[in-house]
Amino acid sequence: MSIHSPYRHAHFPTVPLSRREMLSRCASGFGAVALAALHSDAAFSANNTEDITGGAAGHGPHHTPRAKRIIFLYMDGGPSQVDTFDPKPMLDRYNGKDPGELFKVEATQFNNNGKVLASPWKFKQYGQSGIPVSDLFPHVSQHVDELAVIRSMVSEFPEHTFANYFLHTGSGLQGRPSMGAWVNYGLGSESQDLPGFVVINGGLIPPGGLDCFGSGFLPASYQGSVFKPSGTAVANIQRTEATSQQQASKLSLMRRLDALALPQYGSHDSLDSAIRNYELAYQMQMAVPELMSLSEETQATQSMYGMDSSYEPTRIYAAQCLLARRLVERGVRFVELTCPNVGADRWDQHSNLHAGHQNNARAVDQPISALLSDLRQRGLLDETLVVWAGEFGRTPFAQGANGRDHNPFGFTVWMAGGGVRPGTIYGATDHWGYKAIENRTEIHDLHATMLHLLGVDHTRSTYRFGGRDMRLTDVKGHVIRDVIA
Amino acid sequence: MNAAPALLLKAALLLKAAVLKQLATCLVLQLSALGIPLTLPSPALAQDLNPPSQGGGAPASDPSSREQASSEQLEFFEKQVRPLLVEHCYECHSGASAKLQAGLRLDYRDGFLSGGDSGPSIVPGDAQASLFVDAIRYQSYEMPPKGKLDEAAIEVFVQWINSGAVWPDEPLPDLAAPASAFDIDERTAAHWAWRPIARVTPPAVEQTGWPSSPIDHFILHGLEAAGLSPAEPIDRQGLIRRLFFDLVGVPPTAEQVDAFLADTSPMALERLVDSLLQLPQFGERWGRHWLDLVRYAESRGHEFDNDADNAFQYRDYVIRGLNADVPYDHWVTEHLAGDLLSEPRLNPQEGFNESVLGTGFWFLGEWVHSPVDIRKDEADRFDNMIDVMSKAFLGVTVACARCHDHKFDAISTADYYALSGFLQSSDYRQVRFDTAEQNRQIADQLAQLDQTYRRQIGAFLADHPLASSAAASSALQLTSFAAPKADAAKELHDLHNPGVLVDFEHLAAEDFLPDGHLFGSAPRRPGELFLTATDDGPRLSVATHHAAVSDPFWHGLVSHHGPGVQLHSRLRSLPMSGRTLRTPTVLLQHGQVACQVRGGGHVVACVDSHRLVAGPLHGETIVRFAPSDDWQWVNLNLDRYVGHRLHLEFVPDEEAALEVALITQGASPEQRAKLLQRQQERAQAAEQMAAWIEQVWADPAPASNPLRQLVAQWADARDLLRQQVRAESRLAMAMSDGSGEDDHVLIRGNAAQPGPLVPRRFLSAIDGDRPLSINTRSGRLELAARINDSANPLTHRVIVNRIWHYLLGRGIVATTDDFGVLGQMPTHPELLDHLAERFLQDGRSIKRMIRYIVLSKTYQMSSQVDAEALQHDPKNLLWHHRPPKRLEGEAIRDALLVVSGRLDAAMLGPSVPIHLTSFMEGRGRPPHSGPLDGDGRRSIYIAVRRNFLSPFMLAFDTPVPFSTMGRRNVSNVPAQALILMNDPFVVERARQWAERVLAIPAEELLRSRDPALAGRADAQEIAAARISAMYRSAFARPPQPAELAAALDYVLAPPAAVADRATPADSPARWTDLAHALINTKEFIFLR
Repeated sequence: MSIHSPYRHAHFPTVPLSRREMLSRCASGFGAVALAALHSDAAFSANNTEDITGGAAGHGPHHTPRAKRIIFLYMDGGPSQVDTFDPKPMLDRYNGKDPGELFKVEATQFNNNGKVLASPWKFKQYGQSGIPVSDLFPHVSQHVDELAVIRSMVSEFPEHTFANYFLHTGSGLQGRPSMGAWVNYGLGSESQDLPGFVVINGGLIPPGGLDCFGSGFLPASYQGSVFKPSGTAVANIQRTEATSQQQASKLSLMRRLDALALPQYGSHDSLDSAIRNYELAYQMQMAVPELMSLSEETQATQSMYGMDSSYEPTRIYAAQCLLARRLVERGVRFVELTCPNVGADRWDQHSNLHAGHQNNARAVDQPISALLSDLRQRGLLDETLVVWAGEFGRTPFAQGANGRDHNPFGFTVWMAGGGVRPGTIYGATDHWGYKAIENRTEIHDLHATMLHLLGVDHTRSTYRFGGRDMRLTDVKGHVIRDVIA
Repeated sequence: MNAAPALLLKAALLLKAAVLKQLATCLVLQLSALGIPLTLPSPALAQDLNPPSQGGGAPASDPSSREQASSEQLEFFEKQVRPLLVEHCYECHSGASAKLQAGLRLDYRDGFLSGGDSGPSIVPGDAQASLFVDAIRYQSYEMPPKGKLDEAAIEVFVQWINSGAVWPDEPLPDLAAPASAFDIDERTAAHWAWRPIARVTPPAVEQTGWPSSPIDHFILHGLEAAGLSPAEPIDRQGLIRRLFFDLVGVPPTAEQVDAFLADTSPMALERLVDSLLQLPQFGERWGRHWLDLVRYAESRGHEFDNDADNAFQYRDYVIRGLNADVPYDHWVTEHLAGDLLSEPRLNPQEGFNESVLGTGFWFLGEWVHSPVDIRKDEADRFDNMIDVMSKAFLGVTVACARCHDHKFDAISTADYYALSGFLQSSDYRQVRFDTAEQNRQIADQLAQLDQTYRRQIGAFLADHPLASSAAASSALQLTSFAAPKADAAKELHDLHNPGVLVDFEHLAAEDFLPDGHLFGSAPRRPGELFLTATDDGPRLSVATHHAAVSDPFWHGLVSHHGPGVQLHSRLRSLPMSGRTLRTPTVLLQHGQVACQVRGGGHVVACVDSHRLVAGPLHGETIVRFAPSDDWQWVNLNLDRYVGHRLHLEFVPDEEAALEVALITQGASPEQRAKLLQRQQERAQAAEQMAAWIEQVWADPAPASNPLRQLVAQWADARDLLRQQVRAESRLAMAMSDGSGEDDHVLIRGNAAQPGPLVPRRFLSAIDGDRPLSINTRSGRLELAARINDSANPLTHRVIVNRIWHYLLGRGIVATTDDFGVLGQMPTHPELLDHLAERFLQDGRSIKRMIRYIVLSKTYQMSSQVDAEALQHDPKNLLWHHRPPKRLEGEAIRDALLVVSGRLDAAMLGPSVPIHLTSFMEGRGRPPHSGPLDGDGRRSIYIAVRRNFLSPFMLAFDTPVPFSTMGRRNVSNVPAQALILMNDPFVVERARQWAERVLAIPAEELLRSRDPALAGRADAQEIAAARISAMYRSAFARPPQPAELAAALDYVLAPPAAVADRATPADSPARWTDLAHALINTKEFIFLR
């Protein structure tokens, strides 16, 4: 996906808007003026306000939002629930036993099922809530009283790519709009000079590729923009002219020639918007280097995030988390972080569970903890929803001798901040941590809840495509009231 | 069988399925009582799982004892259960429902027991096993949909079911089905798109001087009725640029513009249009439109972005086909069933089979490696194939009916699965399209030749003096070429049933499904004569077994794949194309499969049509066996696939012989030994015959032996024919027929819940629900005929509307892929029918339809908007002007190549690898980046890898290839500006464009001296001429004086005068800046 092209912006829908609607939205937000459609396309009029069933870009919140934006900490590969947030003593007791004698074992991705495997990590209870966390997360565990831990997630897919698309887009197949695209389609962006959906790529693009962050059938303006956590961050952001003066001179010539040529077209919003586009691009060219100057942050802040860690993946994720804070400060609606490469694999430990999970946790633990503290300290946590999730969990029995296979039947995600009921455990898996048995929670439910916290009714945020009014939640999804404060 | 289980089975037949589960429980108990061990959790585990503190529920009472229902139970039902049912369920699940959902009635007890679409709702006495409880717990369905019941209410239902689901003895409610919400006739009648295409007379207009075409009457009529006028015609410079981009996708050169402007004949425009339609670039431009419809890509996406092998051959087929203006009905037929045409369209230059390439479109979708649920994977693939086929050709969204009848359109779930049957009956292969046609003819001649010689040799042997011996006459009976005796056949058949999966002796002719001719046209029978090559020349041999046998005649075939990028599929390396023996599709009932073969090669089990064998799962579907001169059993362990549909494919090693006789499932070694023994007995006759032929062969003297002469002639004739075999061929993805079969409805689209079979047929809104009359296996040819039927109201409206959309920027039906209720109504329905009718009358020619439209005044309107018209009709629905059109990413990139002189006009062939930036990461990343400028090739030739799409194209709205996209988004994002300002590809083109302009010799520039420039200093005049050349090549017009002045000022001003231009005046750097600025003007990316 052209995710690397940074400047798709929530405020450039192709849906036609009346001039009045357009002007009413010009009050705030980057690119607001560019709201004008390139051409007034009657095909999308069903998405206009004329037809309430069709949905409309920028439909705005349906109810009072609890959160203004989302930081999505994507734990690529599927962290093991029984080794992180869902302790299961039964695994210790039956360690090494044949799982088939204990419970029904479903088909797995590698079909190489071993014995019941106890967690190699110890769990302790933390905080006032007493939520147990394993030794993998010495830092995040200090924040349990901020978290709502959902232990009963299920996915429909045991393969990465399906499950990634499903987690990101609500469908297991390629080509649907990502969460961040939906959110910006519905709410627009508040940023003055940055795109509304930013993916900070720590090094690992998930299986399924950049299309996990695509805009699907929504206009390209809603696509995620991939930033790198260092350097120039964004493709084509650096001017190619030797000096800014030279660039300005060239752009001024362009503007002059445009002004002379365009009368032959007549007056059209599409052309006005395309001209305005250059001003926006120019603003971004200024804004991104400013965004990227992490050295502006105090030494204490940098250290808190782990920018000076001895472990390189921690340093990378620290920069990502710090950048995430800076992005939400600048009004970016949806920020997603992908994992750094720890040398082995993403959280996908088909073998060597111990080393793999240890390294992955080490990369993200301190930075996430710092992000939560920092957001709290700056008064941003209450209006920022932080979501930590993988695409599925892992089996409580071994794959081979010392790995775990994919498990979509029961796994853990957590949320914090914007409207979340803190210090909560919701749902449960069975004795083995294998299948969700209490308050089974679908990915659609997670999406519905995330949208709800942003003030969006997931059943009313629709876009007509291919003869259907499409939703992030398909025809499903229920808001999980119990995790909302 | 003792009495108790027998009774149980009898009961099972009588009772409804709802109670089967309970019976199964009883059966298990019976078995354990009989001493059959059952795996039960250890007592310790049981204790762990059910700690005493959790307590146990009340024991289930006997569910069948309705008579014993106590008054407490009835009271519980009336007070607790019924009110909940009334409140939460009856709106959708009772006789009072306006629209009964899922066919489920919950207002009487049998309604619960027999259930709805998803089967029984409850198992009385076992709430845990009851679907109803799953649904209200939101664990399968989520009922009631308005919100989950509270725990107490759920507990009431659990208790009620556990205690036997007692219901009072009461009169049944009205069982007449509530009015069906899905009335296909009503829906068909109500929506415009299903109505027949009307014959329309163009309406009269007042401004009779304006129209130049019937099209204009329709448009002008609408405008006049609203009191509006059409815009002025566009100037000729604007028109030629518009026509070039619309028809061939590149800007005209300065020379082409000049030539058009100089041609003042009234025929000038027609001549221009005709010449553009003849340019090969036409196919490249319109081919890209077509590729949007079929989600064209060259990789499979998903996790590792594996190759969609040889997809580019389909792209080339599209370009050639559009250039050849293949009539649209033939085009449709080639897409649906090009493999089945008895007289395929041959490439005029190279003679290869074009038609078969069309079927590649079916297989351009996303493919998944190692799906855990392989049947669901198939259902998803079919969904995409039906979706694309129905949207692209019919403009309706049939795939919306996969899980339920269409919410809005006259399309039923049965319609969906009726189409799915065509896919179940078809198969994927890489076809040797270069040689397919010629080798097919050779195969026919070979069959004829063999038959002739067998007859002659048979006749000779029968007349031979030695034939009077008893042994010889019984042997001869075998060579009499009569069909095998029915009773013998039946005997063997009975012997191996039901363990036999496929038996080549009893294969129906339509079940013999080889790819290519290696295995002849039918399996070989015992006694059949064939030639064997020996060191002493050809010898006559006698077949001993019923088997499909590879013929060395076809050795030496070579197949060429295009260049590969991600070649993970384990099937790709097998030499399958043109050399594969395919069994019919069967339902696997036992996982232990054994194949009786002689020779060496591979056997592949193709389960649920899964073809991307890569990664951890499904490796067991491919088994190699080493060459052997004796019959051997090759075993496949397919336990994982019991209950799935599959077929087997046998691929001999290159240049190796292979015979396949029999395939068993679940047969014991003893059973198989018995089968072999029986075959051996039957082979004795053939061996006797061989011995007798040996006698004839040896007698009298070799030179004068007529048998030897016949054999030598036969061998010579075969050799002669063999010299005509075309050995080398390229490959392309294509469809072929498998076993003809219908598909099951899948309840709620769930692959694990098959419902009734639906016969293959076309949409019932058009054809009714009678099965299609199918002559051969899949029936795709017959389906294509239904789609092409001139009475079909969709196909022709859809294609002319697409053409209109691509030319005018908006379809008459704006939603080009959805003519359904949720789509837009046509703005000019009569014009649409006029075009469709004309298309049908005019040979269904796409080029002629384009010509017809672009020669109208309507097409030639300018983009100048009249203020009054805009106020009256702000969306331009009446078409009073032509809105400016933003060029597609491909056209912008191609224009950059043209103006900079970098364009390499080479057509067709393997794609240029995509240029990879450091932002294009992830699994399946191609190992090598392509060149930044794509070797100068047009954009349609740049590789389309699903997970690594061109950022340039995506920014300019080239669609992600997942479904039909007849109407691209047109978005406006800063990425577009950033690309045109900073992308190295663009910057490089600007530099090249400047170099090119600077390379034009001054004399040449001054030769075509512009009078407007007379009197300027030479340097300025030359610069002005260069600027003029740039404007004419990019915008098809000379610069206006003010534009020229601005540009001149930019390139010629001395650095001292303007601090922001540090480079020397008139330097290449200045010219590069000017070129770059022109690329960034809106005129570069907009058509007026």
